[in-house]
Amino acid sequence: MRKLLVAFLMTACVALPGVAQAKPKILFMPGVADPFYFTMEKGIKAKAAELGAELTVAEYPKAWGPEHQVPILQATVARQKYDLLLIAPTSTDALKAPLKAIYGKGVEIITVDTFIGDGDYSKKSDYSFPLSYIGSDNELGGKQMAVHLAKLVGEKGKVFCEATNPDASSVQGRVKGFKEGIAQFPNMQVVGVEWCLDVQQKAQEQTLAALQKDKDIVGIFGTNVFSAQGSYQAVVNAGLTGAVKIASWDATKDLIGALKKGQVDLVLAQKPAEMGSLAVEWGVKYLKDKKHVKVPKKVIPGFEFFTRDNVDDPAMQKFIYQ
Amino acid sequence: MVNARANEIASGRSRLGAFLGGRWILAFLVIETVYFCFTAQGFAHPNSAQILLFYGVEIFLLAVAELFVIVTGGIDLSVGYVLGFASIIATKVINGLAEAGLPPLAALLAGAAATLLVGLIPGLVNGWLVAYLDVPPFIATLSMLGVCHGVSELVIHGVYAMGLPPLAAEVGSGHLLYWVRGGGFSFFTRPEVERGTEVFELVPGIVVLAAIVIGVLAFVLSRTRFGRHVYAIGGNRDAAIRAGIPVRRRLLGVYALSSLLASLAGLVYALKYVSGKADAGAGSLLDAIAAVMIGGASMFGGSGTVGRTLAGCLVIAVLELGLRMSGTPTFDKYILVGAILVLAVIVERYLQQDRK
Amino acid sequence: MHTAHPGRPGGFLASPAGRALARNWAACFLLIMLVVFSLTGRNFLSIVNFQNVVHLQTLPLLLAAAETFVIVTGGIDLSIGFVAGLASVTAATLMQRLAAAGMPAGWVILLGAVGALVLSLLPGLVNGLVITRFKVPPFIATLGMWGIANGVALKLCEGFPVAGLPEQLPRLGNGYVLYVLPGSFFSLFDKPESFSDARVRELWRLVPYSLPFVLVLLGALAFVLRRGRFGRHTYAIGGSMDAAIRAGIDVDRHLMGTYVLSSALAGLAGVFNVFQTGIGNYTTFSSMYELFAVAAVVIGGASLSGGKGRISGSAVGVLVLAFMENGLAISGVVPFYRYIAVGVLLVVAVVIDKLFPDLF
Repeated sequence: MRKLLVAFLMTACVALPGVAQAKPKILFMPGVADPFYFTMEKGIKAKAAELGAELTVAEYPKAWGPEHQVPILQATVARQKYDLLLIAPTSTDALKAPLKAIYGKGVEIITVDTFIGDGDYSKKSDYSFPLSYIGSDNELGGKQMAVHLAKLVGEKGKVFCEATNPDASSVQGRVKGFKEGIAQFPNMQVVGVEWCLDVQQKAQEQTLAALQKDKDIVGIFGTNVFSAQGSYQAVVNAGLTGAVKIASWDATKDLIGALKKGQVDLVLAQKPAEMGSLAVEWGVKYLKDKKHVKVPKKVIPGFEFFTRDNVDDPAMQKFIYQ
Repeated sequence: MVNARANEIASGRSRLGAFLGGRWILAFLVIETVYFCFTAQGFAHPNSAQILLFYGVEIFLLAVAELFVIVTGGIDLSVGYVLGFASIIATKVINGLAEAGLPPLAALLAGAAATLLVGLIPGLVNGWLVAYLDVPPFIATLSMLGVCHGVSELVIHGVYAMGLPPLAAEVGSGHLLYWVRGGGFSFFTRPEVERGTEVFELVPGIVVLAAIVIGVLAFVLSRTRFGRHVYAIGGNRDAAIRAGIPVRRRLLGVYALSSLLASLAGLVYALKYVSGKADAGAGSLLDAIAAVMIGGASMFGGSGTVGRTLAGCLVIAVLELGLRMSGTPTFDKYILVGAILVLAVIVERYLQQDRK
Repeated sequence: MHTAHPGRPGGFLASPAGRALARNWAACFLLIMLVVFSLTGRNFLSIVNFQNVVHLQTLPLLLAAAETFVIVTGGIDLSIGFVAGLASVTAATLMQRLAAAGMPAGWVILLGAVGALVLSLLPGLVNGLVITRFKVPPFIATLGMWGIANGVALKLCEGFPVAGLPEQLPRLGNGYVLYVLPGSFFSLFDKPESFSDARVRELWRLVPYSLPFVLVLLGALAFVLRRGRFGRHTYAIGGSMDAAIRAGIDVDRHLMGTYVLSSALAGLAGVFNVFQTGIGNYTTFSSMYELFAVAAVVIGGASLSGGKGRISGSAVGVLVLAFMENGLAISGVVPFYRYIAVGVLLVVAVVIDKLFPDLF
């Protein structure tokens, strides 16, 4: 069986030399196994198929961190020569050296969702070799969430932040941005930040405890899928739906459904599919004509905010993670 | 006639069983390595062994740490977060010293020493609780897990421990030998080359360091009095007491050693990934214990060797790497790893049974 | 056990009640904790808080009960966390498909729940088979299932939480028996029709549905473990497997039953989770459900080598861990200090028990 397959492949390789040589080989190295990256993969797959590129998706790391991601990266890169690597680096420092070595082998690199160094690849540094950083500005998003949430609660009162993993730079960015955003409102206060470590059950427990401690909390910011789901469920559990406004980062079907039901009040959708798609598009464009194509060093697709007003809008549906 | 034939088969099986017996895990390791050489793209290349060893160092160290504890009939759940704690201490101290003006090498050495010293503390506390206050090891080390986690997060205060001097990265990722295709050899330092030139790295420094440490520990466990006492305590604690073994002191030593190894692993992490993280070792705990079990140790103590534990580590590592390089989709890989490991142990038990 | 010393004071400590108290250090510790936190955290001592905590601990309680049976036999089950996640995803997927096909909500919920429960017997069967027939150590056998259950769950839901389930689900899962507005009225099973949301903070809700559910279930399990033949055999095997065999117990069949029970309870926990959250959730790697289940069982007095342990003890263990987190959070202890505090408190409690066996 194996011999037949090999023979067939060899024939195919001989028969289609022109096409086989032109197909760019893309490798996607996600950050962690969660809905955001699964959605990004779909965007990448679609664009790669459209442009006729060969896509390999590396194993999804079990948890966030270079110790999970780098071994997978090195193992996958050793399989064959890739032309383009799309990676969501799980550490700004730890990934510099491995990526530099991969770049040294002739692979073009685009970082998606997160970055190495400080994300500015335009200035001279030891991390300026990637083509581009296509991702979210987590701090800005956190600030925007704060402003939106403040408006929802009438710009006064106590708010609580249910975060997930303190060792993930993206989450820290969102929390930082949120705190700075709330600080702009003199009548508002962030009463606490809790870390559920991606465990929805913990998010529920922590939110309930926070609601118990400060009975006058009027708003909650859940910084990712699991924290948001856990906190809105806690509020529903406590019977406080409506009295406490919930802002959620990441837009899964459940959170959108909760928005429609009135259990969640604000949903921020990042654009993982678009990030992935843009990365493929720019990457392939560059590979086809390295001399003349200038890839922008930073592309921030921005966010979409779902509220009860626009949740049924057909134009918004494509931003839901599914 | 039927009986004779059955006997022949049975004795053939038990001869095979007798031959493989305790060496099945090694045999399985060879089998899976060979299998992946044929089926996994890029696996049959010296680089794969390097990836395996280089990225597996932390788990090897943690597994040996767990081995010592498990042999005494205990368990150490804190090693993962001791690793994280040590990685943060290492990063902070080395950074601090380098910024204070110390030459990088001195900062590195002093930082390493400080990390290992501080890293003894969790182990001493664990050992004291288990040996002198009779706290069940599960609870004592679970508590230490939480304490290390909390202290780690408080030390870094939400800002990552990073920014180590370049020398740290060189040591962490340094290899003994570099060979440039078409060029020459280079010892210890990575040659600067043009983009596109192939550079072969051989023998990572930290793997050599870990090998030496583990080798020494293997000797300690199998040939020294300390090692004999460790086995005795695990085999039958009361008998050990009656035999005059200073059980409490030994237990203290075992848990301190475990913590020390975890800190060494944390130091290695800091050098390899030029940063420190509180949960750096969180994912490695289960793998480390699994390696010890697959290597044949009993959860109740008294048995297990360093060699077998390393074999257990390698079995898991080769399986993971092989499946990765076969392009197995992530979810399928989780299923396959679980199923194959259990199957491997099933065969081992089957062979060992026949020997009786 | 605490042996009587000559010259030790008599009175209360020597009485059956006193000795029972001494054996149940975890329960005493829980009580002391509740008192202390009532003083340090305002709003801690409230029906709302206690009910919230117990309600959310339903899943951990079921997992701890599952783990109790296994640990008493001297084994361990590492797969319960992911089996619960698998059951959650399975139940939710079944319900989602049935609901989309137009079936009425009641049937959707029933079939989905039962389907998932039946399916969650399978991991236990496999575990039991591998452990008894193939003599694989429980640690490794259940570690294998850990990976398999996780992979299957993720494949089933493709990595996304399963939504689109009937509305009635979370109402059932989070419902209360009694709703009281002090000073005016009360109603059963649901908020009164005329109730305006603006006054929602004054509404008292009493006895979540999960409470009788968990009490009855744990009560039944405790009875089986303490008085039933199944329970006696469990302790016998944990005490000494050889003695159990010599006593004529079919150890293999019993262990099989134990792991199937464990898996079934984990499945029940997962199905309950769907009721409680209204969606299907796979278990994430960072949950460490099994670690905390084992911890609860050990706190409750079990030994990892088997032969000891009780459902009531495990339940107390779960509540000790939960109230510790809850109490410290409400008292304003910041998260990272909490990790330390929980660790220290736990050890202190055990140490006090060991150092001062006569204290209680």
